[in-house]
Amino acid sequence: MTPFLELIDLDVAYPPRKVIRDLTLRMSHAGIGCLLGPSGCGKTTLLRAIAGFEPLRRGSIRLEGVELSRPEWTLPPEQRRIGLMFQDLALFPHLSVVDNIAFGLHDWKAAERRARVTELLKLVGLEEYAGRYPHQLSGGQQQRVALARALAPRPRLLLLDEPFSNLDVTLREGLAREVRTVLLREGTSGLLVSHDQFEAFAFADEIGVLHQGRLLQWDSAYNLYHRPADRFVADFIGQGVLLPGRLGGEGRVSTELGEIGGRSADGGCVAGERVEVLVRPDDVVHDDDSPLRAEVVERAFRGAEFLYTLKLPSGARLLCLAPSHHDHALGQRIGIRLDIDHLVMFRRGSGADG
Amino acid sequence: MALKHRPAAWPWYLLLAAILIGLTAGLWVATQRVHYEWRWERVPQYFAYRAEVPQESPVAGRVSAIQADGALSRVVVTPADGGAPVVLPVETVQVAIGDAIDREDSVGDHYEWRIGPLTQGLWVTIWISFVSGLVGLLIGLITGLCRISDNPTLRGLAILYIELIRGTPLLVQIFIFYFFIGTVLNLDRIVAGIGALALFVGAYIAEIIRAGIQSIPKGQTEAARSLGMSAFQNMAYIVLPQAFKRVLPPLAGQFISLIKDSSLVSVIAITDLTKSGREIITASFATFEIWFTVALLYLVVTSLLSQLLFWLERRFARSD
Repeated sequence: MTPFLELIDLDVAYPPRKVIRDLTLRMSHAGIGCLLGPSGCGKTTLLRAIAGFEPLRRGSIRLEGVELSRPEWTLPPEQRRIGLMFQDLALFPHLSVVDNIAFGLHDWKAAERRARVTELLKLVGLEEYAGRYPHQLSGGQQQRVALARALAPRPRLLLLDEPFSNLDVTLREGLAREVRTVLLREGTSGLLVSHDQFEAFAFADEIGVLHQGRLLQWDSAYNLYHRPADRFVADFIGQGVLLPGRLGGEGRVSTELGEIGGRSADGGCVAGERVEVLVRPDDVVHDDDSPLRAEVVERAFRGAEFLYTLKLPSGARLLCLAPSHHDHALGQRIGIRLDIDHLVMFRRGSGADG
Repeated sequence: MALKHRPAAWPWYLLLAAILIGLTAGLWVATQRVHYEWRWERVPQYFAYRAEVPQESPVAGRVSAIQADGALSRVVVTPADGGAPVVLPVETVQVAIGDAIDREDSVGDHYEWRIGPLTQGLWVTIWISFVSGLVGLLIGLITGLCRISDNPTLRGLAILYIELIRGTPLLVQIFIFYFFIGTVLNLDRIVAGIGALALFVGAYIAEIIRAGIQSIPKGQTEAARSLGMSAFQNMAYIVLPQAFKRVLPPLAGQFISLIKDSSLVSVIAITDLTKSGREIITASFATFEIWFTVALLYLVVTSLLSQLLFWLERRFARSD
């Protein structure tokens, strides 16, 4: 079966700087994905290359097996049937809501166009606002118009460039979920670009972590968190610290906190090597009976729980998530134990580019 | 925090009035010193006047009767060859009963309203400005698009044209257009005048349009392209309609300038408002009055235009 979207060995450059380097990504099925990365990692450039606004230096972009871009040749954006939803929405200010949505249907028959616009207005819940102009709508309503407009011509793929980032954090996840529902109902595939992992988790089935123009891992949210393939991914997704240790036999690592085992991803490390083990805050369990003690150096109240930063005797730091009734003062020494299910380790001193 | 004290405005209005009265008085004193005699009563006739039109008899014959009818008189001419009598209405009678009249002899005068040279000049100024503004808008639109084109030839030509026009005086351009291009292509002076003005204003409009197009965010273009519009359709349906709204104020200024600049075509003997003014002065010697009147007429036209464009701007602004 032909993969849905393929990006093969891409190089994209704003001379003299290469923004995207040797990037290969395969979305095997139509679905909803996300490119996640800090600002400046090249994710927007990649999205623009897929939409046809950036020429390639090297490599190839294919959608449903058909090549869209290669060096020296770029299929014009209007022939790609790829929708775009922007960070600044880019609604047409001189057109009403209806005309904005109908804009991509200019070559449809009038009756079909009307039916499609009505259907979309209903889908995004804006029937009453059909005749308004964009500046007469709230931010959330404008988002919906932008979504309806992008979906109207039934694109094969909808690209979303941080479309929720102008919204309140509390609205963001909700709207990301809402857009996801709309995409699923329309049967349209989506690719979101975001720097917000919670938005990504709420929106996408599969997530790619991008850093300095390279794709580090393309995986489910669960795997990115629990089986990060890379030091940067481990650091970027969720919280945690890397605890030094030495890899013994049977995939067990001896550390300051004793031997750690678990379902192991050894990251290519061999027995006897000096390694670092990823310890997430939820791997560190507060236990008054434990002989292991650590000093509280920072605490952040989060409602249901406290996030403690602990100092070990060696000076190494740990993060610990404890239910909020365990209220400890700074400087207090509390008992902890490790409860690591997925053991993730990296060779010490390796992958320092993270 | 204490409320900011707002001083009363009326003393300043008083000062304004005093300054204006002072200026007027100064003007009066100045004209007194050069012993200028104001003859404002000479001005109205140059807008419109009643012309004497001689009433000619269509037949040869004899004046058989003159009937008074209010201000009019009816001169009845009985043809010598025995045809039906002809009645000619006149306001001043120059014949008496029994006079023999030849064909095309005048029997008297009647009066007709005629448009004066100031009105004619004003009309010439208005339509020359209008036509050259329209042509200039077209030139400016095309040049503005070429200016931002990716094609080096188009872009180069546009830059060359804009720099040439903006770097040379309009008066010199009019002379070159009339004496050189006009002679080579055998152009009428009106065509040469309109051509020079249109080329001049086109260069400035091109820059206004370029700035307007570039002020539309790139996202608009990208949205339109990703919705299946070609580059041309995007320009026609998305970019230009929005850009037009933004360039309306600077365009208005440019058209107002054009009306004023059109006074320069008087140097190639086009009888516009300015040239009419000069001609009237040689006949009437009412130098100050005519120049003031000419200035006022320009002011009226430019104010009307700026009001019209202001109204247009407000209408378009509704969807912002």
